[in-house]
Amino acid sequence: MLKIRGLRKQYGKHIAVDGVDLDVRRGETVVIMGPSGCGKSTMIRCVNRLTEPDAGEILVDGKSILSLDDQSLREFRRTVGFVFQQFNLIARLNVLDNVMFHLVLAGVPREQAEARARKALAKVGLESSEHKHPANLSGGEQQRVGIARALASNPQLMLWDEPTASLDPILIGEVLDVMEELVRTTNTTSIIVTHEVGFALKVADRIILMDKGKVVEEGSPRAIFADPQSEVGKKYQRLIAS
Amino acid sequence: MFRFFRDGLYRDYIILILVTIIAGAAVSSGVAWAVDVYFGDTIQEMIGDNGEFDLILHIREASEEAAVRELERIAQQQYPGAVISKTISLAGQVNYLFGFPKEAKTAETFSRLPSIFNAVPGLNSYTVIVEPSVLVRGVHPSISDTLQQRFNQIGGVSFAFRDGKNMLIVLEGAEHSKRVMNEVKQILKDYQVLEIRFPMGFDVDVQSTGDAVIQLLRKEYPGAKLANVSSTEYGEELDALMKTLVEMRHFLLSYASKVTIKLAPGSTVVMGEQIVVQGLSQQVPASGEEAASDHVVIEILEVNGDQAQGMIVSGSAAADGGVLTQPGYEYLSESKIGKPVGEVRIENERYRLNYAIEESLRLLRELDGLSVEAALAVERADKVLTTFQEALMQLEVLQVQMQQLNKGLAEKGAQSTSEQLIISLFINGLLKSIAKSGSETAEEFDLDQLENLDIASMRSSLESIAEQIGSIQEIDVQAIIDQVSDIRDSLPDLDDEEIGKSVRLVDNYIAGQVIPGERIQILVEKGPVDTEAVEPLIRSRLQNQYLNVYSIAAGTVNPDTRTEVFRILKEVRATIAGILSIVLVGVFLILDHATIFSTLKWFRANQKQPRHGLAKLMNPVALFSAAVGAAVLAATYWLSRAAVPYVSMATVAVIGMGLGAAVGIFSEKFSPVRADEIMAGLALGLNNAQIMHEIVIPDGRPGLLQLMNRAKQKF
Repeated sequence: MLKIRGLRKQYGKHIAVDGVDLDVRRGETVVIMGPSGCGKSTMIRCVNRLTEPDAGEILVDGKSILSLDDQSLREFRRTVGFVFQQFNLIARLNVLDNVMFHLVLAGVPREQAEARARKALAKVGLESSEHKHPANLSGGEQQRVGIARALASNPQLMLWDEPTASLDPILIGEVLDVMEELVRTTNTTSIIVTHEVGFALKVADRIILMDKGKVVEEGSPRAIFADPQSEVGKKYQRLIAS
Repeated sequence: MFRFFRDGLYRDYIILILVTIIAGAAVSSGVAWAVDVYFGDTIQEMIGDNGEFDLILHIREASEEAAVRELERIAQQQYPGAVISKTISLAGQVNYLFGFPKEAKTAETFSRLPSIFNAVPGLNSYTVIVEPSVLVRGVHPSISDTLQQRFNQIGGVSFAFRDGKNMLIVLEGAEHSKRVMNEVKQILKDYQVLEIRFPMGFDVDVQSTGDAVIQLLRKEYPGAKLANVSSTEYGEELDALMKTLVEMRHFLLSYASKVTIKLAPGSTVVMGEQIVVQGLSQQVPASGEEAASDHVVIEILEVNGDQAQGMIVSGSAAADGGVLTQPGYEYLSESKIGKPVGEVRIENERYRLNYAIEESLRLLRELDGLSVEAALAVERADKVLTTFQEALMQLEVLQVQMQQLNKGLAEKGAQSTSEQLIISLFINGLLKSIAKSGSETAEEFDLDQLENLDIASMRSSLESIAEQIGSIQEIDVQAIIDQVSDIRDSLPDLDDEEIGKSVRLVDNYIAGQVIPGERIQILVEKGPVDTEAVEPLIRSRLQNQYLNVYSIAAGTVNPDTRTEVFRILKEVRATIAGILSIVLVGVFLILDHATIFSTLKWFRANQKQPRHGLAKLMNPVALFSAAVGAAVLAATYWLSRAAVPYVSMATVAVIGMGLGAAVGIFSEKFSPVRADEIMAGLALGLNNAQIMHEIVIPDGRPGLLQLMNRAKQKF
């Protein structure tokens, strides 16, 4: 479904992503792991062009994303769910509006949008909090709203950018549970950037390890952590063992 | 950067700019208009309706009550129908409006204003606001009379009069105002005052230098009529000073000792020469010796044949007797005494005056006692006259008795007895002596003559004298004594030397009428003289490279006070509108446009293409905001009909540019954007317009942008 070739992104003198190649099949759950600053987030932001890559090619269902005009790009983005590390909710809107507003703006009738939003909220267990504002929710709840917002547009591709990185350890679990449930029950293609090894082992069809902007190892979770070939993989192995 | 404005956002932003301009112009011109109306109404209250009042009298607050009484008296007695109204009070000063009745609005009335109101207690000054009128300011005094005559001849002019350095032309109707103003301007163009200004501290004799300049100008402009009006520029005050100085000189001369020189045969003196006399000095002057410091030096003022008049310029000759006669000698340079010139008689006028006053005081004191004594004498004379009249009546009785006695004796043919004879002789003698006292020529006197004395007339005369004495007694002699004593005490305590020096100083000032000054003024008729052309010529002629030549109008035309006030109000309105425009545009830029600028900056920072070279250095958002600021402020300023003095439209645009650039540079501080929300909007497939309407603007500061956004905002 997704094919990335020679992807490159540089910030000043720092090369964030250095010639990454990646293939993701439809319905596959790919977990990207690696040390902080290795280019994981930059890479998945390049997929929907929240970050413009300097070079390379991104193909979704054979269509080049980098050559899309503004209108086509927006249409593409509506088919991609993106969950941010910092939740990125609209502070002035309540939970329901946060989940449905982009649907309405995309032309979905308000009633339909509301129904889809409520359904998405139900999936993340927040159906009773639809009138609350983000400021009145816990971090975990806010992230679940973010997930519901991404799900509401029925995406063909879900991009998860370290969804638990900003959460307290006690809140991480509730988010991971929701994510695990979603991955298992839906057939959506997902690319998840995370440091949660246990979660990766549970949900990933394939794990990709990155270091210094490059893919250093990839494979099934069992293969990667049983016999790691890269330094990063070995570190993760030691982490699991401990 | 302009990609940001796609998806219809450019339309929204243009509308925002237009709304900003219209709102800014509406608010600034509206506030300015309100201020204008408020002040207009206030002024209407302050100076009444058009033509209602002619003067504003500025009166000290403390004297208000008395001043109002006097104003009411003037209105009732001198100008029945005149109107008085109190207007605003400021800083201890109350102001009253005064309107003359229609028939009294004449040149005569307005030229007498100082005398009409001089008795108003506490009157500080007054302002003439007669309407409709045309005001000519700064009329040069040398041509004010000429101009007044010419102005009076203009059609539609009721009369013209001078008010200090201004001239007011009162019109028959307001409809004549524009035409009369134009004609007045034409008349003023016939005159030009050429001012030659010298560097500071460079005093010149304005008369002689001015004449020299005129001579020069006559060659260059033979057709022009030129006059040196430098002294008249000082005005009536100088005239008054000159008159006072002349009178003071006369007084000082009459107060100084009178010096008369009887010239010796063969001696001559001329006016201005000096002679020396001994005065009160112990040292007798001697030819060839040096004059002593206490010798008296006399300056010759006048020579008539062998007599000369002089004035003491050094030393004092005040003698108790008031007169001093001594030989006079020539007074040469280096204080040397020359040959004798004749006999000098010095009469001390101050001594004489003092003496006369003292004698007058004595007389007055005596007069008081004398009148009392005279009254007593008259009273006694009246008593004597009464006694005399009674005695005369008794004598008449006696005479009858005597006649009867004589008759009796004659009838009896008997000789008088010795007793009868004695009585007869005694009475005759008595009667004669009385008669003699009444008439010295009377040799023979009988009682009939005595009866003919006019006792009634004598009594009448006595009564008249008594009446006159009574009148004298009624005179307040003590008051006269006090006053004369005051005059004596207040006479200047000056000696001859001081008087002489003062007279010389006054002479120096008056005689030549030299008025030192730093500028010369030449009135030019049938000019005009080109100042640039004549300046080098005058510099060359007066050998002064630092002088400057200016052309000054003979007067400047202004409308009447009300029109002038409203013109100033209009300027104030335009200034307020201008200042408000700048402030409002600044506020709008901060409240509304800063949101756009900061979002633009965020998008620019997340743009695809890296920038190099000049593009990296330039800040297109700052340039864009500067352009927006310039356009918005210039348009707002123009639409609100603003006009700040000395600020051109280009300057306004520059100010707008600065405001815009500043707001653009610091836009994140004025209106920070929530980057995470924008990022979410992008990730969710919203276009820029939707991001602005649903995310950025609702999160921004409340203002026009939010107000306009409400129609488009769905959440």
